[in-house]
Amino acid sequence: MNDDDRLERLLHATLRGLPARPAPHDLESRVHAELARRAAQTWPRRSFRHWPMSARAGFVATCGILAAVALLSGSWMEVSIRTLIESDVLANFWVRHLTQLGAAAGDLAVSLANALPAAWLDTLLAVAASLYVCLFGLGAAAYRFLYLRPVNDRLTITSGDQ
Amino acid sequence: MQTTSTGSDQSAEFTEFMRAHQDMVFSTAARLTGSDAQAQDIAQEVFIKAYGIFPQLRLQPSAPGWLKTVATNLALNHLSRYRKRWRLFSEMRADDAGESGPEPDVPVPDTLLENLGSEQRRAVVDAALQRLPEHQRVPLVLYHFEDLSYQEISERLHVTLAKVKIDIRRARLALLPMLQSAGMVP
Repeated sequence: MNDDDRLERLLHATLRGLPARPAPHDLESRVHAELARRAAQTWPRRSFRHWPMSARAGFVATCGILAAVALLSGSWMEVSIRTLIESDVLANFWVRHLTQLGAAAGDLAVSLANALPAAWLDTLLAVAASLYVCLFGLGAAAYRFLYLRPVNDRLTITSGDQ
Repeated sequence: MQTTSTGSDQSAEFTEFMRAHQDMVFSTAARLTGSDAQAQDIAQEVFIKAYGIFPQLRLQPSAPGWLKTVATNLALNHLSRYRKRWRLFSEMRADDAGESGPEPDVPVPDTLLENLGSEQRRAVVDAALQRLPEHQRVPLVLYHFEDLSYQEISERLHVTLAKVKIDIRRARLALLPMLQSAGMVP
């Protein structure tokens, strides 16, 4: 038998022979308190599984009605907005100007993209990606040094106290 | 909690049930998580789940096994959530699977010294387990305490079989000098 096998057998026998760790004295009271707290909750605050059957059925029916209304109103709103835009009702309204501004900005972006050499665009994208990675790295470093390290220090101090 | 006579009977019975098994449930969670506070939260959740099905559970001879399984699953879920949340920033290091690792520095004895009582041994071993890194402690506990095979541990932890074997071996090698310094190893 080699050292690894002997170590495995030794530790297995040692660990299996250990008594259980005593649970904290307040575990029992904590469980009872939590059970009492949950029992005292009114049904809307409990999980859906514990709702009365009528409330569950009502909730499902309401959700179904709302979903149907959302679907119908979506198509109705689309038609209404299109009709409004195409009509003269909004002729002098800001929505018309906003739409024209958006279209002009889109045209400008397309023109610029066509005018610029492909290499420039690639470089621009690479710079943007690098900046994003740098920002992510800075965030990670700040998180480690400003937040994680103090937490670890607290844990070390706590375990050192025990 | 119910306040009828049947309800208070059940509550008293549940209290007895909890007293009978709380050490086992707490131990399971504490050895896996390496944290008493987290283990207490997990043990509380286990007994709240048990209370929900207590009318069926109290008649089952497999109730302790059910409690242990739920405690193990909750502890592993907890560790998994915690690991996903923190790994990105706190464990940015290469996976060390694939190496066989160092040989034992301490000669491996056939038996441990009997100079400590069982409670002292438990305290020493539990303290040593808490000092192991999570990726070594969890597979070691699953293997030695929960009787899972290497393959089952690999599947539960979603790591390779080779990594499980290496981590468990390293955990044993790390435990040995800790037990020696506590006077349990000759």
